[in-house]
Amino acid sequence: MTWSREELAARLRRVGSERYHDKHPFNLRMHEGTLAPAEIRCWVRNRYYYQTRIPVKDAAILAKSPEADFRRQWISRIHDHDGRAPGEGGLELWLRLAEAVGLEREDVAGLRGVLPGVRRACDAYVAFVESNDLLASVASSLTELFAGDIMRERIAAFEKHYAWVDAEGLAYFRSRTSQAPRDAAFGLAFVLDRATTREDQERCVAALERKCEILWSLLDAIEAAQRRPRLSPHAVSREDEERPGGLLAVLPERAVRLNPAGREILELCDGERTAEAVAALLAERHREEPRVEDDVHEFLADMTRLGVVELRKEAES
Amino acid sequence: MSRPASGARSEAKPSEGHQVGSEAESAEPNEDHQLVAAPRPWNLIAELTYRCPLRCPYCSNPLDHAEIRDGLDTAAWGRVFREAAALGVVHVGLTGGEPSARRDLEAIVRAAAEAGLYPHLVTAGVPLDPSGLAKLAGAGLRSVQLSVQDATAERSDAIAGTACFERKLAIARAARALGLALTLNVVLHRRNLARVAALIELARSLDADRLELANAQYDGWALRNREALLPWREQLDAAEAVVRAEQAHPARPEILWVLPDYFAARPKPCMGGWGRRLLVVAPDGLVLPCHAARGLPGLAFWSAAERELGACWEEAPGMNAFRGEAWMRDPCRTCPERTRDFGGCRCQAFRLTGEAANTDPACALAPRHAVVETARRGAAERPLVYRGGALEADGESAPTVRVP
Repeated sequence: MTWSREELAARLRRVGSERYHDKHPFNLRMHEGTLAPAEIRCWVRNRYYYQTRIPVKDAAILAKSPEADFRRQWISRIHDHDGRAPGEGGLELWLRLAEAVGLEREDVAGLRGVLPGVRRACDAYVAFVESNDLLASVASSLTELFAGDIMRERIAAFEKHYAWVDAEGLAYFRSRTSQAPRDAAFGLAFVLDRATTREDQERCVAALERKCEILWSLLDAIEAAQRRPRLSPHAVSREDEERPGGLLAVLPERAVRLNPAGREILELCDGERTAEAVAALLAERHREEPRVEDDVHEFLADMTRLGVVELRKEAES
Repeated sequence: MSRPASGARSEAKPSEGHQVGSEAESAEPNEDHQLVAAPRPWNLIAELTYRCPLRCPYCSNPLDHAEIRDGLDTAAWGRVFREAAALGVVHVGLTGGEPSARRDLEAIVRAAAEAGLYPHLVTAGVPLDPSGLAKLAGAGLRSVQLSVQDATAERSDAIAGTACFERKLAIARAARALGLALTLNVVLHRRNLARVAALIELARSLDADRLELANAQYDGWALRNREALLPWREQLDAAEAVVRAEQAHPARPEILWVLPDYFAARPKPCMGGWGRRLLVVAPDGLVLPCHAARGLPGLAFWSAAERELGACWEEAPGMNAFRGEAWMRDPCRTCPERTRDFGGCRCQAFRLTGEAANTDPACALAPRHAVVETARRGAAERPLVYRGGALEADGESAPTVRVP
């Protein structure tokens, strides 16, 4: 049976209260003030990639609607992010945040050092919108319902715990406290009006869940890059007689063969360096090679999944 | 820097004699699929003894296990481990029966570690005790797979046929405290499938690294009790839904779900292929491609008590009987999946069709698949026959005997 408008609205809000990334451990630590400057910088640099995808996503949504009223409304999102002229808009404000936390504007704008997991998550969002219809695409944007609160908390947290970040840098968050609720109100009304069958309603809830999943995995990737990898205490590493220069990591349920490049990465994983630091070190060592940092992060994600590597939160000492 | 690609291998291995198929994620190098006379074995299953204080009605030890004596002493096992390492073996699963029924287990663990193998203990948790486990850890043990039969003491003990649940939990906690990797293993069947959620909770409360939920493999004693143990389809679906929901969260423990092959459309890649990556040394020293292969007629296997392990692995006629693909009949012979499932289980083919070279009837493409379908329909309420032959008193209340 079809849900009432109230029931659908309640279900959409429940998705947020259960799955929105304000509950992600990284976000919790950000708001309780325990992130190190390097962690804040990593987040700002990576999250910029997400910011760049938002107007691309909104343009795709715009192109799906045959209605002038809808487009006239929705296009304001693109203006909000891109501005009406260079030097304006949300992307510009984010670059000022980047400068305020000590990053080089050109590095961030040039998307240097974006983690592969972050890139994957953001690209998945754009792909979702491109491959779904207007209704599901709009529903996926409804994380804005929960964005107003998170922005207010964030401003308070930065003012309280991260005083080293210039207050001017927080302009992006301030702009979103009013934009997000306005956009969300329009998007929610659209979804409640147009999702008139149970099937469509369920698709809308699923779209919002998928979006929450994407935001969550973005923070997972950032968090993993700031962890300190080391060989799992259950793993024994030994020479691989069949592949000279490689390594055999033996675990309770499996043995994993590493080639010399994998071995070089693993040997830098001492439980002290962060994954980001390991990647930077290897990129420096192999300057002539492209994508070294991406390879390191992908490798460490694989090895963590296989249990070869564990990611420590704190340094050993 | 070249791409840090890695090839992950995970070995099929028996858990309390119950084999678990190699996981989908084990990306295997292609060359391994080609016929090689005797490929490198990765995993040694060392069945130290068939003695066991438990009497589980699905035990996969041979029905005549009581006739098979412990034929290898401590020094002989040490030699087997060194010869295994020379063949390329990396893991050794110390199993049985119940390996801790052997008084020289500590020396055996030390010998395995000294040979350079990764020692893994597959235990029912008795007669082992926490101080004994500490000695094994000191001797070089790295990981423990502990079986429980159900989620509560009463039900677990009823299946084990002996009171041991609390002692198992003590072993699990000791393994954690000693820093050993811990896998909890549960053989699933009609009488415990409804408790999958509670079993996951148990594994979580014990902080296990991994939980193996392995539906019974219908060979050995399980075949004898098949009518009483085979689950109903609905039970299986409900349990699988619980497992899938839990697996969606990356939280510990890692959960491995093994479908009973009677309900799968394709057979298991039994032991990862006959004589291909895994070798079993039985308590009497017989070197086998799997723990049940000695029951196949007409196959000559050799004993590690009499010959060097490499010869037993490479040259014994029985070991070569089903290596590669030359032995395969239709439909396996031309099946595109033969490199993945190797035609399934030879023992099951023999037990259910009378010929070991037939396609495993668990496969929906097998000419004799009907025998599995018939068995599935034939599931019925029957009393269990415990390992050793005692008949369950009645219904779900089983006689309990004291641990010796």
